[in-house]
Amino acid sequence: MANRVTRRQFMTRTGLALGGIALGPQLLAACSSDSKDSASGGDSGKGSNDIWFDNWTLYIDKPNDELYGKGGTLDEFQKASGLKIKYTEGYNDNNEYFAKIQPLLSKGDPIGPNIIAPTFWMAGRLIGLGWLEKLPLSKIPNAKNLVTSLQKPPSDPTGEYSLPWQSGVAGIAYNQKVTGRELKSMDDLWDPAFKGKIGVLTEMRDTIGLIAMSLGTDLDKPTYQNFQPAFAKLEEEVQNGQIRQFTGNDYVKDLSQGNFAACIGWSGDIVQIQKDNPDIRFAVPESGGTLWYDTMVIPKGAQDLDAVAKWMDYVYDPVNAARITAAVQYIPTVAGVQDELRKMGGDAAALADSQLLFPDATTLANLQSWGNLSESEEQKFDEEFARISGS
Amino acid sequence: MAKNATDDDRGLRKSRFAPYGLLSPGVIWLLLFFLVPVVMLFKASLSTKPSRFAEPQFDWDWSNFSSAFSQYGSVFVRSFVFAGVATILAILIGYPLAYWIATQGGRFKNLLIGLVVVPFFTSYLIRTIAWTSLLQDENFIVSFLRIFMGQDFRILATPAAVIGGLTYNFMSFMILPIYVSLEKIDFRLTEAAGDLYGSPWTAFRKVVFPLSLPGVFAGSLLVFIPAAGDYLNNRYLGSPQTSMIGTVVQNKFLVQFDYPQAAALSIVLMVIITVLVLVYSRFMGTEGLAV
Repeated sequence: MANRVTRRQFMTRTGLALGGIALGPQLLAACSSDSKDSASGGDSGKGSNDIWFDNWTLYIDKPNDELYGKGGTLDEFQKASGLKIKYTEGYNDNNEYFAKIQPLLSKGDPIGPNIIAPTFWMAGRLIGLGWLEKLPLSKIPNAKNLVTSLQKPPSDPTGEYSLPWQSGVAGIAYNQKVTGRELKSMDDLWDPAFKGKIGVLTEMRDTIGLIAMSLGTDLDKPTYQNFQPAFAKLEEEVQNGQIRQFTGNDYVKDLSQGNFAACIGWSGDIVQIQKDNPDIRFAVPESGGTLWYDTMVIPKGAQDLDAVAKWMDYVYDPVNAARITAAVQYIPTVAGVQDELRKMGGDAAALADSQLLFPDATTLANLQSWGNLSESEEQKFDEEFARISGS
Repeated sequence: MAKNATDDDRGLRKSRFAPYGLLSPGVIWLLLFFLVPVVMLFKASLSTKPSRFAEPQFDWDWSNFSSAFSQYGSVFVRSFVFAGVATILAILIGYPLAYWIATQGGRFKNLLIGLVVVPFFTSYLIRTIAWTSLLQDENFIVSFLRIFMGQDFRILATPAAVIGGLTYNFMSFMILPIYVSLEKIDFRLTEAAGDLYGSPWTAFRKVVFPLSLPGVFAGSLLVFIPAAGDYLNNRYLGSPQTSMIGTVVQNKFLVQFDYPQAAALSIVLMVIITVLVLVYSRFMGTEGLAV
């Protein structure tokens, strides 16, 4: 019976082994020095490409539905500069993406892409955490074409870390056939006739921003105290069943399907859906809409900054920016695009007159952008918003 | 009468370490992918974070556990209720189907069971999203039901939709174990029951059903446990009022970066499920529960 292992023996020995394994790494870690292993993680995935731009979806032109289609921005850039660019659409949600890059950047490791596209507030957070490289502005002469309203914004006061990519407006999107009428203000969203058919965004700044503006609060110096009434209003409408769901970009589907009579939505999306479904309308609420923008930033540890500079310089040429705008139909952040669109003629020229893409002074006066939130304030906002939205 | 066990050993010439060798893949897998993560989770739940994006500091802080109950007690209850109802529905729908395939399937048994599994070739996410298309307000299902339930009726963004989604997504996990345990039953026993003056219903109640209980037990575990922690069904089919514990943990982890609180909630969920499962297996009686 010498080689029979009894249950008791097995459990004892395995227990000891387990204990050893559980404690072992701790002992080893304590003994070994803290060597920061600078693996060449920066190039993982980038391969032989000079530039890797990880962006949101529907944010660049695709001739014949191909990213690198002939005559498209990516194709023309590669031909003009001789550089290779890898463009991926992995940026789906700010918080989601932050959760992906946080483990690496917090330890000082590079993440792979050398350009990413956070929304302005997320760029502000990354700047505050010191996780971005300064832009090589001396090599981006076209950066001077940045529209004046977005120069040195609150989220990037020195203007050295971010260059806006596209801008847009959050307002009321509604299905005219379901509502039976035009909607003009936030109070229309709370109309009891639409009970259970209203959607709002998981993007806290757009949802709470619009509600706060409808209650007379400005967005430029937000504090948790000031925004209590807005949170209370949101909670009230959630509790009484007026608001059906908090959605991300998928509000587009619910709107088309008639699940939502109206919801908070983004201007460029609506312009794009209107082609297929003319019943969908967009309106900036009378009390004001939120103006937001997404940025191009360079994560810390990225390589090939000269190549990145060439790309940024390329897309800040009004001709190229117009090509992108004609496809994505968001508000361009480069001056001179309106004239270029008119020169392009056809559908593009019609866009030049759209209030959604080129809001005139009156419309602009009705749009506000969020001021900065400190880390602790932002945490309070996010937690309260999460509590109300049922998470 | 039994031969001395060591007499058989000569043929295989085992080393002393053979048992360890054979068990080590399973044990190592359990260690690496279960024990170590649970220990790390426990450590994280007892930590605090000095600021939102800093690393958690381990300092035996039990407040995360107390707030788990005080703040999210109702969410836990709701999650277990949803998962429980989904399990019961899965049994009510899945058992007759498994029974029919096992007894009436004949030559097509394997094909039919294959058909049960085929929906699982698509991803869990896609199946759930497909339900949002089916159940949308303007589609034929809801329009039809509105005739009886009034124009304001809807299915999406209600508890019914979430429970339905949970039931559907985990249905195969109920059907397969029940089918397997039914397959093993020698149906001559029902003939014997008949010979003893039992009706078909009595034969089912006293012979077939008890013998199939191991399958029902396994199936209930396989449905209840993941359903309680699920978050996808609530995200697409639910509303703010139907949030489940999975939703909260996901938000705490990915949006709030409150890892300690998320870890505490996960541990509480694990402990409660373990207790429920132990109670359930007591209730079922554990002899012969091996499927």
